[in-house]
Amino acid sequence: MTSPLFEVCGLGLTLGGCPILDDLSFSLQQGSFLAIVGPNGAGKSSLLRCLGGLQRKFSGTVLLEGRPILSLSARQIARRIAWVHQNGDRDLGFTVEEFARMSRYPWKDPFSVAGWTREDSRILADALRVAGAEALASRPMNSLSGGERQRALIAAALTQSTDVLFLDEPLTYLDYLYQADILELAERINRERGVTVLMVTHDINTALASADRILALRKGRICKEGPSRDFCDPLVLEDVFGTEFRLFEAPGQTVPHVAPARMLR
Amino acid sequence: MKRGVLPVLLVLSVLALVVIPFVGMQTLSWRDVLQSGSPESKIFWELRLPRVCLAWVTGATLSVCGTIFQALFRTPLASPDMLGVSSGAAFGAVLSIRLGFTFTLFSGLSGLSAFSFLGAGLTTALIYAVASWRREGVSSLLLTGIAFSFLFSSLTLLLQYSGNYVDSFRMARWTMGSIQTVGFSPVWTTLPALFLIFIVAFLRAPELDLFLCGEELAESRGVSIKRLRRVFFISVSLAVALNVSVCGPIGFIGLMAPHICRRLVGPVHRPLVVASALFGGTFLTLCDTAARTFWAPAELPVGALTALMGSIFFLWLLLRREPQRF
Repeated sequence: MTSPLFEVCGLGLTLGGCPILDDLSFSLQQGSFLAIVGPNGAGKSSLLRCLGGLQRKFSGTVLLEGRPILSLSARQIARRIAWVHQNGDRDLGFTVEEFARMSRYPWKDPFSVAGWTREDSRILADALRVAGAEALASRPMNSLSGGERQRALIAAALTQSTDVLFLDEPLTYLDYLYQADILELAERINRERGVTVLMVTHDINTALASADRILALRKGRICKEGPSRDFCDPLVLEDVFGTEFRLFEAPGQTVPHVAPARMLR
Repeated sequence: MKRGVLPVLLVLSVLALVVIPFVGMQTLSWRDVLQSGSPESKIFWELRLPRVCLAWVTGATLSVCGTIFQALFRTPLASPDMLGVSSGAAFGAVLSIRLGFTFTLFSGLSGLSAFSFLGAGLTTALIYAVASWRREGVSSLLLTGIAFSFLFSSLTLLLQYSGNYVDSFRMARWTMGSIQTVGFSPVWTTLPALFLIFIVAFLRAPELDLFLCGEELAESRGVSIKRLRRVFFISVSLAVALNVSVCGPIGFIGLMAPHICRRLVGPVHRPLVVASALFGGTFLTLCDTAARTFWAPAELPVGALTALMGSIFFLWLLLRREPQRF
């Protein structure tokens, strides 16, 4: 039995005197699609940052395949985990291709001058194709719409050739068509490439639709963690989000749609 | 990146270095210059050629430093002189004049250079500490830099006021920034700064690209940002200090050159660093030629000239309708 991909034990985080995360423990197997959900300020993004080694001031342990994440260098982590950040700079003059090329960085000798190989080109072309960003390759990042930008960011993450992908609120500010596109893309990357996906989202329907496991946070603690189907329960959802939920099922639908009762007219 | 820009810049640089030494109050001819012992050959080999080389090296160094700082601070408004580093270096230099230090450390590193290096390093560290403590990013950093710039400028003025006539004149003349030289020794002092900063910037260009995308992204792509930030900081302050100690503070080259070059070759740093060095070198050489020929036989301090052009350029940056983009 191999050790789980992530093993978290007693994870706590305090920033500026405020407790953000409190005594979290869970583990995650390779190949999963985990959605981290919860209300605003529950600590979702902070948890992701701790798991990805971007936040290093936590207490407790985070193991990546049995090794403490804090013992790994940024480069070692970057060979395992690729990020699609929520608040990237929206005003970069790099083209999509130039931006994606940077993701080969963790695989390069930092002092090499002419390090770009045919293999790198192949990986880059493949990533652009999978993310549907081929047509965007020569467009500057700052000329893209929200949805195009998200595709470009995912293409860049794929170029990093990692077996773990972190998505921080990937659907925010996207219209319905792009939400569906990006969600399908994330599912495909998980299923067809065996990439473990961790996605932070505030939208429980997004989580139910795509993830096989859900971790619900509330006020920095794990409210519930388990298979997605366990979350198709109004009582569980009420416990997580603090408001009453209703379930809606249409024929042919495998996953119900949920909505807070107070939003229904 | 547009092809052909780098070769054109290279040709312009070479032309500047070869042709400009012949230009001046007295236009020289090939034949006179090659005739050893003639006054023309003395002017050429001991005054004009070293001066042109020094101008080129200084312009290239400051431009590459500016390119690094703009990526590191993620603002097109950053440059070594605007962030107070030059003022810190100037204060160090003026302090060493005031205290009357005339010692020389190994091979040509004078007390002046040592002090101005200390000044630049101290300022860089202070700005960096304050900015990272506040963690409010760009605006806090610029304000911190401006604050330190004022602080060191006022300390410099106090020192000047308290000095005797000779010292004060030396200080005042020095703080205007000028590229006057007799012989090649200042070129040999400043050339290592250019080598250092160019090699750092060129080899570390992929990291500069990533820094420009934000520190969080850079770190998630595998950059050890803290270590690298230190590398860039120390090498920029070393390079600026070496240069300022020889030429005095020469403003705005480090701000303008990266901007113009980004327009020419795009934001990717490997070509950008090369373009900045070539462009900055050529540009300062031309400025210095203008400074020594416009009002000949009187000579303008080139620092005043570049500052004049630079502030107009800066206003234009602020007033431009489209937001500044990298």
